[in-house]
Amino acid sequence: MEEQRYVVFLFPSVSYALKAEKILKAAGIAHKLIPVPRHISSDCGVCVRIAEDKERDVEGELRGRVEWDKAVLL
Amino acid sequence: MPVTIDARGLACPQPVIMAKKAIEENEQITVLVDNDMAVENIRRLALKLACGFSVAEREAGVWEVALVRMGPTVEAVKDGSPGMQEDELSCTVPTGKETGPLVVILSDNHMGRGDDVLGDILIRSFIHTLLQLQPRPDKVICYNSGVKLAVKDSAVLDDLQVLAKEGVEILVCGTCVNYFELGDQVAAGHISNMYDIAETMAGAGRLLRP
Repeated sequence: MEEQRYVVFLFPSVSYALKAEKILKAAGIAHKLIPVPRHISSDCGVCVRIAEDKERDVEGELRGRVEWDKAVLL
Repeated sequence: MPVTIDARGLACPQPVIMAKKAIEENEQITVLVDNDMAVENIRRLALKLACGFSVAEREAGVWEVALVRMGPTVEAVKDGSPGMQEDELSCTVPTGKETGPLVVILSDNHMGRGDDVLGDILIRSFIHTLLQLQPRPDKVICYNSGVKLAVKDSAVLDDLQVLAKEGVEILVCGTCVNYFELGDQVAAGHISNMYDIAETMAGAGRLLRP
């Protein structure tokens, strides 16, 4: 079995991350709020992790509704 | 050429004393040791002297520990403290397990007091981080609103299930589950009672309470 690969979305602040989480929840996209991995620097300590193949869907949901800094492949 | 010190068969604190002496005289040393305690002591020495540290198990029960000086720090430390400090000479492995298991107490479904939205984010981050924590906790106890972390639809259920799968015992307070009417929804760990909870806490080497 191939290991699941993830992408994390980084946000300018915790409240953006929370807002994104609500949007993804409403859209039914599996996600997880996790601490920002140590090797990625971010002012906001939490990020939203999603399956790699959902990156486009997530961008589509978030665009125009909540800003994000970047998406990083883990 | 790195200097090699053979400290196999020597009792604590001899290996770390030899390592300290050697790194003060050489840029780079390799120490052969045959127990965890010596590895751990030398690791702490390296940290204190700001040396590069690496360890490899060369064969079963024999570790090759390498120290590399990174700058003038060694001299500074040497001048400042001529003798071995007591904290470098610990002859017990500081894993926290000598006196009993590491037990994490989840007594609330939030972390800290002040703001529950923030507390929710923090507890989720904390529990996710437990997956990478070394040493791994031995047991997790959920009580009061902490039991809500171990039920269906909890945002940390997957993390708790991974912990359980990896051998971490998760005790979920039965009284609390009953009080919150979540009896049929516990999805990680097992329902426990106050006897086991109190005994587990009393027998813990360390309690970790976020």
